[in-house]
Amino acid sequence: MDPYLVSVLSNIGMISFIALSAYLLLLVGEISFGQQAFFAISAYGSGIATAMWGWPLWLGLIWGAALAGFAALLVAIPTLRLRGLYFSIATLAFAEMVRLIFEIFTYQIEIDGELVGPDGSEGFRDIRYVFESDVTAFEYMIVIYVLLASVLGFFFLLERSRLGAIFRMLGEDPMLTEMQGLNAIRYKLLAVVMAGIIAGIGGGLYAHLTTYVEPKIFNVMLGVHSLAYGLIGGLGTAIGPLIGVAIDIGFLESIRGLAGYRMIVFGGLVAVLLIFRPRGLLDESAVHWLRLRLRRRRDAAG
Amino acid sequence: MVDFIQNCIDGVMLGSSYALLAIGFTLIFGVMRRLNLSYGPSIMLGAFVGTLVYLEFQAGGLAVATATVVGAVLAGMYVERMCFWAIRQGAALASMVSSFAVWMQLEEIVTIVFPERTYSFPPFIEAVPLDVGPFFIKLENLIMFLCAGLAAVLLHGLLYRTRFGLAVRAVSENPQAAKFMGINIGIVMFWAFAVASGLGGVAAYLILGADGQITPLFGLWATFKGMIAMMLGGMGSIPGAILGGLLLGVIEAHSLWYLGTEYRDLVAYFVLFLFLIFRPGGLMGQVAAEREEAAMRRV
Repeated sequence: MDPYLVSVLSNIGMISFIALSAYLLLLVGEISFGQQAFFAISAYGSGIATAMWGWPLWLGLIWGAALAGFAALLVAIPTLRLRGLYFSIATLAFAEMVRLIFEIFTYQIEIDGELVGPDGSEGFRDIRYVFESDVTAFEYMIVIYVLLASVLGFFFLLERSRLGAIFRMLGEDPMLTEMQGLNAIRYKLLAVVMAGIIAGIGGGLYAHLTTYVEPKIFNVMLGVHSLAYGLIGGLGTAIGPLIGVAIDIGFLESIRGLAGYRMIVFGGLVAVLLIFRPRGLLDESAVHWLRLRLRRRRDAAG
Repeated sequence: MVDFIQNCIDGVMLGSSYALLAIGFTLIFGVMRRLNLSYGPSIMLGAFVGTLVYLEFQAGGLAVATATVVGAVLAGMYVERMCFWAIRQGAALASMVSSFAVWMQLEEIVTIVFPERTYSFPPFIEAVPLDVGPFFIKLENLIMFLCAGLAAVLLHGLLYRTRFGLAVRAVSENPQAAKFMGINIGIVMFWAFAVASGLGGVAAYLILGADGQITPLFGLWATFKGMIAMMLGGMGSIPGAILGGLLLGVIEAHSLWYLGTEYRDLVAYFVLFLFLIFRPGGLMGQVAAEREEAAMRRV
């Protein structure tokens, strides 16, 4: 496969994780500006594990995702009783704190006569596990997509489960959820931790693909982008955020001809799309309609 | 002790620029109940219109200020039509994301017209430090401080002494009821947005004039500083916006002095985080937040 295409597809795959994590929170009715923090925590955590402690990749990824989930739990406990914009700004404040802490966080050890490890605003170089174990870019892309497919499979099951129904109900009306005798805060907590873990998987993959992370990658723009992806693609299904990412990265890559004007065109398209479809391309009603069509066709065939 | 007081003075002076930004932000949020991420970028565009006038015609302060305000108001009107008027009332999330999309547009327009990152911005006054006893104050900061106060007084007059202000307050209190009273919500929102953007233009002119330079990053900076100051003060409260701005400035000045540059923003975000957890209504909004909470509980 063309190396350029592989790199674009790998990017789409990795960013999809953070878009899915923002999407999961949108499902329960919370807007988070801070999913990039969990992406960052896992990127650093798993990078440290493989490059400095000599852990294998799979263990590093699990460790990173677990760290991210734990961090999400820690933030969620004090902030979850905040509603609406208050929660959003609290996540923003948290994410910026994480980024600024990585700006000063230094932890280096000497490996083969070279200093390895995060060095404040200089970033974290040489996360070379993938490179050193002769994994090709194409194979790594397969790894990304296998993991992405498992996360999607998880969403697919979620949407059909009782938990998924509770999540959607929470998003519609938390009061109604409480009246059903369900503990809204506890379910939101669960959603926040799951979202943290999902963002974390993406972060770990990201660090090992680029071999270099620095704090400023994880600024608030990444968080706002990941929110936007869900809303462009649609909030009706977990495929929505992926469509959003694919449109953004794919579209921007494919119209290099427009050079300087592409954000003007793209921004305008998104704004106009949102006027007509305020919950994205594949919103709940579109998904419902598609399901009905599919079922009818299956019935007709069977 | 002298250091401490000097830091407080510096903080208040720096904070007045945040206060100016927060006033505009809080006005929009109060009326719309929706977040406008494009607030900073639209006044940034206005400031670049001012820069254009300055570079092309070597114009003086007043012309640059006018161009900045007019540019900001026009950009603000575009944002309002695109992201708020056209999207139905309930879809707050769509409005927010749409304002983000428009932000990308505004930023790209600016980088096309101004390909270099940094441009000089005309100062509005000769920079003279004033000595007051052992302390010193920059004159441009003092003027910024006075302007923030003046803007708040004028806005207060507009909101509490005119028919338009009455309509704005009615819409922010309860849009449905305001509509039944025969208020054209769309028009009220449009003009409230224009006023807020104009105010943002004034803020941009003063801040950039004191700084002496402008970059496209100003949009991001203005949006987030304004938002933090608004949250610290309490959403939707104008005195709160001013106090929140000043508080943010004082926090930044102290952490800069005692801890160093790296910790400046970190401490500010930490204080914001603590505020949100323990006092989500901010300095002035607690009563309103509690009333809302009580109303929710009654339901």
